[in-house]
Amino acid sequence: METRGLTKRYGRRITAVDNLDLAVRRGEVYGFLGPNGAGKTTTLRMLLGLIRPSSGRARVLGERPGAPDGLARIGALVESPAFYPYLSGKDNLRVMARYADVPWWRVDEALMEVELQGRAKDKFRKYSLGMKQRLGVAAALLKDPELLILDEPTNGLDPKGMADMRALIRELGSGERTVLLSSHLLGEVEQICDRVGVVRKGRLVAEGTVAELRGREGLLVRAEPLEEASYIAARLEGVEEATVVDGTLRLVADPERSAEINAKLVSAGIRVSELRPAEQSLEEVFLELTGRETV
Amino acid sequence: MPPEVRAQEEAFAEQQLNALLPESLLSNLFGSGVFGIGGAIALIFGALAAGSEYGWGTLKSVLSQRPGRLGVLLGKLAALGLFLLLFVLLALSAAALGSFAVARLEEAAVDWPSVGELFRGFGAGALILLVWGSLGFALAVLFRGTALAIGLGLAYALAVENILATLPIEGDTFERIRKATLGENTLGLSNSFGSPFPEGFGVPEPLVEPERAVLVLSAYAVGFVLLAALLLWRRDVT
Repeated sequence: METRGLTKRYGRRITAVDNLDLAVRRGEVYGFLGPNGAGKTTTLRMLLGLIRPSSGRARVLGERPGAPDGLARIGALVESPAFYPYLSGKDNLRVMARYADVPWWRVDEALMEVELQGRAKDKFRKYSLGMKQRLGVAAALLKDPELLILDEPTNGLDPKGMADMRALIRELGSGERTVLLSSHLLGEVEQICDRVGVVRKGRLVAEGTVAELRGREGLLVRAEPLEEASYIAARLEGVEEATVVDGTLRLVADPERSAEINAKLVSAGIRVSELRPAEQSLEEVFLELTGRETV
Repeated sequence: MPPEVRAQEEAFAEQQLNALLPESLLSNLFGSGVFGIGGAIALIFGALAAGSEYGWGTLKSVLSQRPGRLGVLLGKLAALGLFLLLFVLLALSAAALGSFAVARLEEAAVDWPSVGELFRGFGAGALILLVWGSLGFALAVLFRGTALAIGLGLAYALAVENILATLPIEGDTFERIRKATLGENTLGLSNSFGSPFPEGFGVPEPLVEPERAVLVLSAYAVGFVLLAALLLWRRDVT
């Protein structure tokens, strides 16, 4: 799946997606991150042909977005799952299966995959939010798709449901299938995704593996006096950078050298109370990249 | 009661009875306003067929599966059309059954309209319902929902059309406007089967000839379908 200069404008003032270049490789689980209103859902809708781009182009499984031949190989859950309220979950999937031109027996298989077979005959309007979400994923799985597009699939799920969904997504993405996962749950993305793209105000601001995004390795030091510790540490061999942040000293250095650095600080009369590898979480990276907007 | 008044009453009763017999099946059916009310019902069904998908948000679910937008549109129109044709068939059958029962009860002759005339009646009824149904469909796509589509559609059908038909305004321009309305053309086509009411009963003469009404109504139906197709094809599904 590839986009080049994909842009969506609403009128002259609002640019929901701005010149987005995105490439998702076959077989990978790609996390699509961004704060609310960053343009994630608009991008996914453009990839499905539901929204027409203002400019730029996109190819999905070699087809233009929305082409029936492409859609036949894509399973999607975009935003909240929407089904006919007066039909049962199973009948809703039967309708979708007919639209998708897939055999009827896939309905039962899809229901089993999301563990909804026990409530399959209940009306959709009686489903809890979590059950609706699982039915949405089941509908996305009906076609046994090559590309699975999931927009916030764990919305409304309880902790067990979220864990199950994570396991399911990991399983679904373990083979040849490509998964494009949009989520604001960073822990979820961190655990599941091979690569991550971060969007802010419609633009891709970072892309890479989770490890790449976390950036350079470092050490966190609690010591007194702090300013003196910072001055000494900055001059030690193997320390690229030393900065004081929130009452701690952060060093850009190989964590393997922590014993050596500790010894030198102590021998210089610095009292070290804590020294440990400092690893930026994806959340910290995300907040840095998106300017601490609401996730 | 004076004998001439009694004679008038008897003649009137006989005319009314004749209007209920099988030979007057079509004039009775079309003249009784079944397709006027049916038009409003067709409008509601048309709006529901298209607008419900917007209301439930299921349009994105459907379009994400496989069918193209025009495929979905044609499928829905085909289903709506089939439903309305069944409605016409049901109305004709019910009217035929009723008139047959009246003829039997009154021991009158059972003379049916010709097969060609029955087909013409079926076609006219279908055209009237299809044009109103497609109006409801197009309004629902335009407003992305059922409520406004049904509200505005019925306001037009029941209020605007009646006001236009009864306003005491004369002049070529206003007459041309009236001749272009759905209601006037529906009336023109319906009245081509005759009136079930006795002569001089005060029923207004339609402004539009039936042949012209067929053309105008067909053009409206095609126009509404094209409008719905264009909107569905061009607009974003959000």
